[in-house]
Amino acid sequence: MSDFQELVKSFSKTREYVRDFFVYGFKTRNEFKHKSPRTYDNERRRLESWLAPYVKKDYVARGANISLAIDSNLMDANPLFRVWKTKSFTDNDIVLHFLILDLLQSGVKMTAEELTERLLTKYEALFDVQTVRRKCNYYVREGLLQKENCKKTVTYFVDNTLVFWLRSNEAVIDALAFYQMAESFGIIGNYLTEQLDYQGNLFRVRHSFFVHTLEDEILLELLHAMNHKESVRLELKSARSECASVTDCIPLQIFISARSGRRFLCGYLMNRRRFRCFRLDSIKNVSSLQMIPEYEELQSKLAQNHCHLWGVSFENPERRHLDKLIMTLQVLEPEESFIVDRLTQEGRGGTVTKIAQNTYRYEIEVFDCNEMLPWIRTFIGRILSLECTAKSVEQRFYRDLQTMYDMYQIENPVEKEH
Amino acid sequence: MEIFSEIYSCYYQVLRHLLCCQKPLTLQEISAQICKEGFGESLLSIIPKLESGAWNLFQKERDLYLSRIGANFLTPVSDLEKSYLKALISDPRIELFLAPQQCNALNKLLKDVPSLWKQEQFRYIDQFTDGDPYQEQSYRIHFQTLLQAQKKRRYVEIDYNSSRGNRVRHYYLPARLEYSVKNDKFRLLAFRKPQCGKAKLAILNLARMQNVRLTERTLDSDIDLNHAIRASYYSEPLKLHIINKRNALERAMLHFANYEKNTAKIDQDAYECLIYYNQSMETELLIEVMSFGPMITVIGNQKFLCSLKKRLQRQMNLH
Repeated sequence: MSDFQELVKSFSKTREYVRDFFVYGFKTRNEFKHKSPRTYDNERRRLESWLAPYVKKDYVARGANISLAIDSNLMDANPLFRVWKTKSFTDNDIVLHFLILDLLQSGVKMTAEELTERLLTKYEALFDVQTVRRKCNYYVREGLLQKENCKKTVTYFVDNTLVFWLRSNEAVIDALAFYQMAESFGIIGNYLTEQLDYQGNLFRVRHSFFVHTLEDEILLELLHAMNHKESVRLELKSARSECASVTDCIPLQIFISARSGRRFLCGYLMNRRRFRCFRLDSIKNVSSLQMIPEYEELQSKLAQNHCHLWGVSFENPERRHLDKLIMTLQVLEPEESFIVDRLTQEGRGGTVTKIAQNTYRYEIEVFDCNEMLPWIRTFIGRILSLECTAKSVEQRFYRDLQTMYDMYQIENPVEKEH
Repeated sequence: MEIFSEIYSCYYQVLRHLLCCQKPLTLQEISAQICKEGFGESLLSIIPKLESGAWNLFQKERDLYLSRIGANFLTPVSDLEKSYLKALISDPRIELFLAPQQCNALNKLLKDVPSLWKQEQFRYIDQFTDGDPYQEQSYRIHFQTLLQAQKKRRYVEIDYNSSRGNRVRHYYLPARLEYSVKNDKFRLLAFRKPQCGKAKLAILNLARMQNVRLTERTLDSDIDLNHAIRASYYSEPLKLHIINKRNALERAMLHFANYEKNTAKIDQDAYECLIYYNQSMETELLIEVMSFGPMITVIGNQKFLCSLKKRLQRQMNLH
């Protein structure tokens, strides 16, 4: 274990391990079959180092099960943000970071040669000009430094106007504390609040999934392509089957489910001329391909399809264009009128009609009614009838219901009387 | 623009704090700071670098370390962070925090910065349609008053329309503002000050508040919110058995991520999950469990099992 390093070069391996521990969890050392025991030990040690308060060990017959116990309803910040702060660096990187930025704090402009000279005279730090220039140019790319060209001379300087403004506006810092929990790219909000030395605990967020942060690097690549109207090549690995594949598509929109905790890329497959969604956590790598002239046209087409999308599926197993679902519900009014509110608020554009005293009909046409089943089951106890043009959906609903009756020994009152 | 970069690393952050502390530091003080802010094993990496001078950032005088950089050192805002801020300005909830002149000033500072994302690039497929009215002035004033009360640890008097339609007025100590992504609503987690006895945890919808008044009364002792949340749980948790078919375990772990839970493997492909909940979570939890159908089995507690069976019995009676 002498070569153990707490920090890492690349995020992708870490992402896999954290997901394995956080979401799938409950795996012993022997169950990580596709990785060597040494790799497993090192990764486990890193996780324990980064996330020590949240690592849970359960001892079972086959060894120790290690998982991450992170209960979002009790947390004021996402502990998985710590994983993003683990990038390794060289001695030169950290020394140059502080010394160059310190030299330029006053807003003074300096060339790479002047900076090199000042590093030596002010801090006794000896660097060659090339190293200093390379670091400055990297910081220009990241936006930490500004660059000015004047008569073949390149000078570098720091512009701290924004950071001063942020520090003097507490309201922005409050907003950052909120958005880092409630919105995509929370890690960037967290970087900012940390930079501004914010310490407060003002917000909690429900139905926000901490594990999403692990996909933010992929999401950044996708948004870059979307902003530039470019197609992408996706390297995919199915979470269930672990099969790897490569697909080209035009990325159009990110779909988020606040119930299931899954996020998807909705893209257009050029070769098959149809829309398809990919789970973000199944995308391992993204590379931009080319600009798509008809990008906006495809966006409009997708927007036209929104009204028939229940979730993320654009086609049903029977390959019909649309399926119609009608659910009739018993709603004892006035005490159960909240059910009618639920149908309206959660029904994604379906129509709700009162058809008799205490009886309502909900009706919708969507691409794939299979996706509706989890929501429909939430009305169990009130469903008078369920009709669907996809008979398999009806059958599955009633079959599952019968299984539940059997599981919980629910008896038919008519049979009971006999 | 890199999101995984050393410029945001934990080590840089720890060092910034050490370097901006202008008094000479002992190795013990440095170690204490690293233990407080760093990772579990950061001490083993950072201390040798400082002692050897490989990170030539301190001037060493006998046993003391003196920062080489100025006390007013600030890390500039990166392009990634600027793009993020620019995207937030377009969010409707930003008006809860920033006054219009602040929004304009920030917009001006970021005028040449591209937004990291646009609102229309994201679509919440199952978010409820009756979100809170963020544009309403009274809502924004209530939100700001509650935020101030939290920071100043002061009580507020809230005039509230309860879900049963009654108008009630009480004194509360705000603890957190809680946002639900699914409901697109804010709730206030607060402690209600009773005439006598211990403060009780209360959860109030912001949109139902008619009036919120900041009082002069402040909190005189600490109240642990998580302790109060845990104390509100039923003594017996919900016990579920999950057979890991068709990815049921992963789906359940994500679906119930908002609850405090304890999951253990009990057999090959079989898991037991204990979910802790209180009365206010009961109905939502019940319908979430029902949404899984026969994929998960409720083992206990008796109260939850009875509610589930009651729903199923009512369903059977309808056919």
